[in-house]
Amino acid sequence: MLYAETFQIRGGDFEHGGEVATRIKSICKDLGIRPDLIRRLSIANFEAEMNVIMHADEADLSFQVLPEAVRVVVADRGRGIPDIELAMTPGWSTATPEMRARGFGAGLGLPNIKNSADEFRLESTPGVGTTLTYAVRLA
Amino acid sequence: MRCDLPDVADGERPRSEHSIVFDPQRCVGCVDCCKACPTAAIRVRAGCAVADPDLCIDCGECIRWCRHGAMHAATATSADLKRFKYTVALPTLTLYSQFGRDVEPGQVLQALRSLGFDDVYDLSAMCDMHASATDAYLSECRGPWPKVSVTCPAIIHLIQLRYPDMIDNLLPIETARELAAKLLRRRLVAEKGLAPGDIGIFFITPCSAMLQSIHHPEALEASYLDGAFSIAEVYGPLLKAIKANGPVENPPPISERGLLWAMAGGEIAGMRNANTITVAGVRDVLRVFDHIEEGKLQAVDFIEAYICPDGCISGQLTVENRYAARRTVQHIVRRHGRQAGEGAVVPEEKVRAMLREHFFDLEEHLKARPVRPLGRNLRESVARKREVERVMADLPAKDCAACGAPSCAAHAEDVVRGLAALEDCVFVRLERLQEAMASTKEPVHD
Repeated sequence: MLYAETFQIRGGDFEHGGEVATRIKSICKDLGIRPDLIRRLSIANFEAEMNVIMHADEADLSFQVLPEAVRVVVADRGRGIPDIELAMTPGWSTATPEMRARGFGAGLGLPNIKNSADEFRLESTPGVGTTLTYAVRLA
Repeated sequence: MRCDLPDVADGERPRSEHSIVFDPQRCVGCVDCCKACPTAAIRVRAGCAVADPDLCIDCGECIRWCRHGAMHAATATSADLKRFKYTVALPTLTLYSQFGRDVEPGQVLQALRSLGFDDVYDLSAMCDMHASATDAYLSECRGPWPKVSVTCPAIIHLIQLRYPDMIDNLLPIETARELAAKLLRRRLVAEKGLAPGDIGIFFITPCSAMLQSIHHPEALEASYLDGAFSIAEVYGPLLKAIKANGPVENPPPISERGLLWAMAGGEIAGMRNANTITVAGVRDVLRVFDHIEEGKLQAVDFIEAYICPDGCISGQLTVENRYAARRTVQHIVRRHGRQAGEGAVVPEEKVRAMLREHFFDLEEHLKARPVRPLGRNLRESVARKREVERVMADLPAKDCAACGAPSCAAHAEDVVRGLAALEDCVFVRLERLQEAMASTKEPVHD
């Protein structure tokens, strides 16, 4: 691993929503990563960050730069996802009316991350938490 | 020709490729400009502000914030006018907002003519057409969304530098000022039998960014404009001429829908498409662009964005305060009786046809100019990024700018790039000094 940095995200922290995505974007620019790859990564990061804020208690988002890819691992402590296949269905959402009023909860978060990334893995233990891993290849 | 326009002293030449000139005689070495610069392009070195030409976007925030007049825009001089047989002034619509609510646009145009220009041209009709063209373009465009206006050149420069992946979000429609100059030159050649090179079309600019767009256009091989004077430098002579001339007999027709373009919100005010946003001012623009880069705001069709806090009426080369200027614009629009959005100057069908005939097209593709990364490759960049973090740990995180860089982060990067020394930081130096004094006074014994 060439570079790694971990960011804490708190559930319900709408006030700072998107800040982690912005900071990672700035690191990527310093490192000279291609703009189109930064954009894909940023879209995924923002969705992942908002997922934690909306659905989990807290999470560590670990940003890793490898020689061939940039990888993000989001490990949250929360209720977990009982049915991953269902959660991956576009349009499916457990967002509350309050979240929807803020413009979230369209049920496109996870599918969006998957579409933006080259690698995608989602593991969850109900009642414990969810670990989401995705990567964008640099080549 | 008679000329009441300012002369600029010899020897003042712009930094290469930029429209803002730094005057070392006036610079006192404070850090106001350095802190205000949105791209962290300015450093204070040896008591004097210097800008990195690779990072400067000509937005003019340094001119706005400098209290000592140490920066100015390298505008045209009377000598530039003498190069042409026939000169035309093409004023920014903002000019109409500078003389209070009782002065009509027609009076401003007449006064401008009496300053020594052979002809003057009102931009409001072209802005009106531009709004229709934008509507038509958006209705046929397939994204990426949202489209961002190219009226403010500093916005284009900012995107090229800091948001390179947003290049395709820029609206590929040429600005009203360039389109007007293109048409005008054609017309003068046809009507007056002049050679295109004999005609000098000069913009009256509210800001340094539009001046820059004339000398170094981004989407044209060469600008259709031949230079620019600032509002501030023509203001005095204009005011005198307005008073001397009195009211105008047959004022030229002004498009109120176009007139609104002088201020933030005006560009979208006249559009049919209401799925739009106006954002103005450096900090807010950065925030909104960050959001766009994260894939948000894709449901928005069009964003009108300005580096200046209230659009062109708040340009740093204007004279009237922007709140009063806004009142004047609103007053003129109301006096002329027509509501914004009502009755386009040129029928929309015609504009649509012109759009299909590529009249409004940008001539060249806008290209990104991303910030240089820390290293030549990923490995070197990562190594340097770690070094930056190590240096940051030694810095006080006060962003005091006493070292000459706008923030501790910028200083840390300068140190790693070999452009500054860690000890340029007064806190680091103080700490070193205290350590040295402590070690000489009380040798440590185990």
